[in-house]
Amino acid sequence: MRRRAAWLLVLPLLLGGCGDRSLILTVDVLSFLSPSDVSQSYSMPGGFAADTLDVASESVNLLPGVQDVTEVMSATLKIGASFANQTGTASGVLLIYVASADSTDPFTTAPIASLPVVLTPNNVTNVSTEVTSIALAQAMVHNSARIGVRITFDTTATPPLQFVTGTETITQLLATVITKKKL
Amino acid sequence: MGMVATSDNGASTTANVAFRAVPKGAGWGSIPLPLGIIQYLSDHPSFDPNDSDFNVFSILDLAANPPMTLKLSDPGNVSSDISIFVAKDSLQVDLADVRKAIPEESMKFGGVYHLFGIGKSFGAFFVQFSPLVHVRNEISLSDKFRRALRDAEPFTSNTRYGIKDDGVAQAALAYQVGYAVRAFHAAHAESASADPRRNGGTAIYVGAAPKYLMGLAYGQIISNAGVTTGDTLFGSSNPVAVDMAGLTRHAAVGGEGGMGHGLGADLGTVLYWRNFELGVGVTDVGSTIHWSTSRNLLTYDDSLNQFTNVKVAQNAGFSSRIPSTATFNLAKRMGPTTLAADVVRNELFTGIHMGAETWLGRVALRGGTYRDSNDRWQFTGGTGLRFGGIGLDTAVGTNQRNTQEARAVELCASVTLY
Repeated sequence: MRRRAAWLLVLPLLLGGCGDRSLILTVDVLSFLSPSDVSQSYSMPGGFAADTLDVASESVNLLPGVQDVTEVMSATLKIGASFANQTGTASGVLLIYVASADSTDPFTTAPIASLPVVLTPNNVTNVSTEVTSIALAQAMVHNSARIGVRITFDTTATPPLQFVTGTETITQLLATVITKKKL
Repeated sequence: MGMVATSDNGASTTANVAFRAVPKGAGWGSIPLPLGIIQYLSDHPSFDPNDSDFNVFSILDLAANPPMTLKLSDPGNVSSDISIFVAKDSLQVDLADVRKAIPEESMKFGGVYHLFGIGKSFGAFFVQFSPLVHVRNEISLSDKFRRALRDAEPFTSNTRYGIKDDGVAQAALAYQVGYAVRAFHAAHAESASADPRRNGGTAIYVGAAPKYLMGLAYGQIISNAGVTTGDTLFGSSNPVAVDMAGLTRHAAVGGEGGMGHGLGADLGTVLYWRNFELGVGVTDVGSTIHWSTSRNLLTYDDSLNQFTNVKVAQNAGFSSRIPSTATFNLAKRMGPTTLAADVVRNELFTGIHMGAETWLGRVALRGGTYRDSNDRWQFTGGTGLRFGGIGLDTAVGTNQRNTQEARAVELCASVTLY
């Protein structure tokens, strides 16, 4: 509450000078993930059409008061990930979720981004994309948000009793929100 | 002519009371023409916060530059995007061209303003009544806070970002009785002119004007506030500690403390010798107002999220000073040409003005330079045209009275009564 009060005093002063220009809020979402979430090993049994690994579900504390004095124009999220696959063949989808409220389970919302990935033995696969999302915009101007990262695997290309193993690393989660003042 | 104070200029009698006794010089009265009004009416900032063009810095620039002069160059509005970068343990704010609005040192402003005095002369004596306002405010940011805003330096953990404000404002009515007279005179043998500026003779004029100051209101605040970041900037929902304290002192007619009473004086002298003019004027010598004040301590409790206002003194005697302003001026007149300079020392800064004027028949050419309140040199140049007892003067001058502190050029004009 105190931090909110302080920012509510400061933000209008900053934004008062914007004229018809913008406040560009860049949030390094990746920095809010714990190191154990950023890089995780996976081991998925072969023969399953849909297996899920919840990589991260973390709170992101943001600048209070932004939503009170600004109007969101657009928001983008740059996503990057690397999969160092050791054994097995699979296809997968990296899913990114964002919830506006810290208390909300992000996985109950619709994913804002999905990146397909193909995993083959002893191969490193890098994926990246940039998505535009209203949900992301709304979340990033709240006091806090919750970010979720999930991977779904289709391991039917790997025989049963064998495993798809490797390490996934999230390399980039960078949100950019462009707002106009709302005074 | 670089806004130099000389005895030619009627407005300079406020700076040097001895000028009152000097025979009126050329161009005694001057009426400024508000050239900037038309420009303002055709293009002025939006005052509606809901307007997409609303820009608080444009309004501040308007306050610093009332539309009396015509802007010949426009430094432009502060209009760039503001960028904020947030990470779990990082915060960086880039104000872009608003950065220039953050002063490198403390920001001081104010002055002593003698407003629309009404007076009458009786020979060497005069009486005068004038409202007087003194304002001074100094705002300073802590080094870390200044660098974070001015240099876009990242905010860091376990660091206090503070701001201090030290301000005083007081208003009074000055009732003044003065005496200004020629104290010494040695005429030049070859000149019959009574104008000591150009007759080559020697003359000394002195003036003194004690004043009674009826204090109307006094207010002072010394405050200190800040936020101290935690171990991780965005590690929790409440990562900063807020501190705030302010000590106020006030008195006002019709309120606590009532009217103040005080005395002061203006003194001046000017020497003329071989068409040189050397003047020294000091206003508000020893001007002091005695008040009965109340003092309050305003604090903010971070743990309770609550402000507390405690009266720490009532009817406390207090003497406020009206700061002196000293003006030293030097001029040399050589036929139609005048060279002049002054140094003005007041509470906040020392200003220097230098200028030259020469008349070619009915046409005057003028140029000058002055050091402004931010110690930057500005330049002026102009011309005048005289038709009998009336003249039209125009001048262009530079200034940096804008948020970006960019150099701008303005045109001013006035009608002069000779």
